[in-house]
Amino acid sequence: MNILETQSLTKIYGSGETMVHALDDVNLEIKRGEFVAVVGMSGSGKSTLLHMLGGLDRPTKGSVHVDGKEIFQLNEEQLTIFRRRKIGFVFQNYNLVPILTVYENIVLPIQLDGNIPDKAYLDQIIHTLGLEQKLNNLSNNLSGGQQQRVAIARALAFKPAIILADEPTGNLDSKTSQDVLSLLKVTSQKFGQTIVMITHNEEIAQLADRIIHIEDGKIVGGALA
Amino acid sequence: MGGESNMNLSHIIVILLLICTVSAVVVMLMSRRKQRRTLVTLNRMIDAAISGTFTENTYDESLLSSVEARFAQYLRGMETASKKLAKDKDKIKELISDISHQTKTPISNIMLYSQLLSEQTLSPECEACVNTLNKQALKLNFLIDSLVKTSRLETDIFTLHPTINEIIPMLKDICKQVEHKALEKEIKLVISPTKECAYFDYKWTSEAILNILDNAIKYSSSGTSILIRVISYEFFCRIDIEDNGIGIAVEEQSKIFKRFYRSPNVSTMEGVGIGLYLSRQIISKEGGYIKLSSVIGKGSTFSTFLLKQKPN
Repeated sequence: MNILETQSLTKIYGSGETMVHALDDVNLEIKRGEFVAVVGMSGSGKSTLLHMLGGLDRPTKGSVHVDGKEIFQLNEEQLTIFRRRKIGFVFQNYNLVPILTVYENIVLPIQLDGNIPDKAYLDQIIHTLGLEQKLNNLSNNLSGGQQQRVAIARALAFKPAIILADEPTGNLDSKTSQDVLSLLKVTSQKFGQTIVMITHNEEIAQLADRIIHIEDGKIVGGALA
Repeated sequence: MGGESNMNLSHIIVILLLICTVSAVVVMLMSRRKQRRTLVTLNRMIDAAISGTFTENTYDESLLSSVEARFAQYLRGMETASKKLAKDKDKIKELISDISHQTKTPISNIMLYSQLLSEQTLSPECEACVNTLNKQALKLNFLIDSLVKTSRLETDIFTLHPTINEIIPMLKDICKQVEHKALEKEIKLVISPTKECAYFDYKWTSEAILNILDNAIKYSSSGTSILIRVISYEFFCRIDIEDNGIGIAVEEQSKIFKRFYRSPNVSTMEGVGIGLYLSRQIISKEGGYIKLSSVIGKGSTFSTFLLKQKPN
């Protein structure tokens, strides 16, 4: 079953002579539980694609279905809540809340929704990501790799339909990167989590089950599951 | 007199209106609170259902009580379904063990008798037939063996018992097992020394890595070397097996881990396409994974990532 599907997704910036097709008629399918990497050089449209998939920006044309729902039919407020419940984000710069502890950061999206965290599941995530010693630390006292692990835990905690990871190791040294990527891979195996990871690095992409190549806003390989 | 009663009347009307408004507001607030309470109760019911602790609490004529009863009914239905699934899984387990048990004897008999036959003086045609028979019987034996192993792993009949072990002794063991094949093709196996430890099941992980190394030898040309290296990270240990073999095309890199996948480029070589599938199965059961990077014509590197610490 496809958890994510796009149909002729197109994004055009500017008009006339400055018109840029950031995304040009993109059709892709991602199955539940897949770990997919989207690879392209900078300016290829991969970040625009990720923003569309995550409902962070609206397309000029085309549709995105997440978990069977056409997301751009939702209004801004609905979309915000949909994002919070269905999509976990892992960004290059971690985006943690610095004044909260590690644990508070992880459960924040759950508490925003007024729910009680599933303790057993959380413990499993926290242990898998090696964070049990750091739970009461403030997140800005952690190293880059540790912060990114917290971000992954936060993304997983809500059991989202998909995790979108944008250059998740872009700010980390190669040794730490390998660990963070391994953890991402292992959590996707262990929890059956669908992950879409954006990277410019072929080597990193090889971790994924499937690699989608994007060039000049067009998908040039790997679009279908 | 008349003016006074009019005044009184309008007073009464104002007061009545006030009372009405106040009571309407009170009723509205109360119903809103009640609605909120109902929703909170529903949310709690679902939380309890998720954590598996749901029980019916109220038995009265309210709609909420009836919802609770229906919900309990639904959960029971789900439970029955999952029990049925577990039962079906048990049946499969039995079937697998029956198959493996029942096929063992005939296969070993075929192998035995074809060997006996090959010891007779035979015409060249017959000898060719017997050789083929022998080879196919061996292949069948390997296939059944691997199939039974993978299904046993999949259905959790076999459980792995990973512990913290040193990696080098296992790598040396594995190399010993394929030494003759490597010697035949004059391929050098080079292990870089390391003292690293990781969390793995010795026997099964040996099998997983043996499959990878076996492939590396099979698809490398004579006179080349295969490098075996261990790289350590904070959470993982990585065992690289790097060959200078034929390489694997990008489109095929994820397919080669699938069951029974054989690359069309190697269809002439021996093999059934189950080795790497089994390897991946074993390693992911231990909480690790296998990654492949390869360039066609240059060679492949299979990286096996093992956890360093026991997960909970």
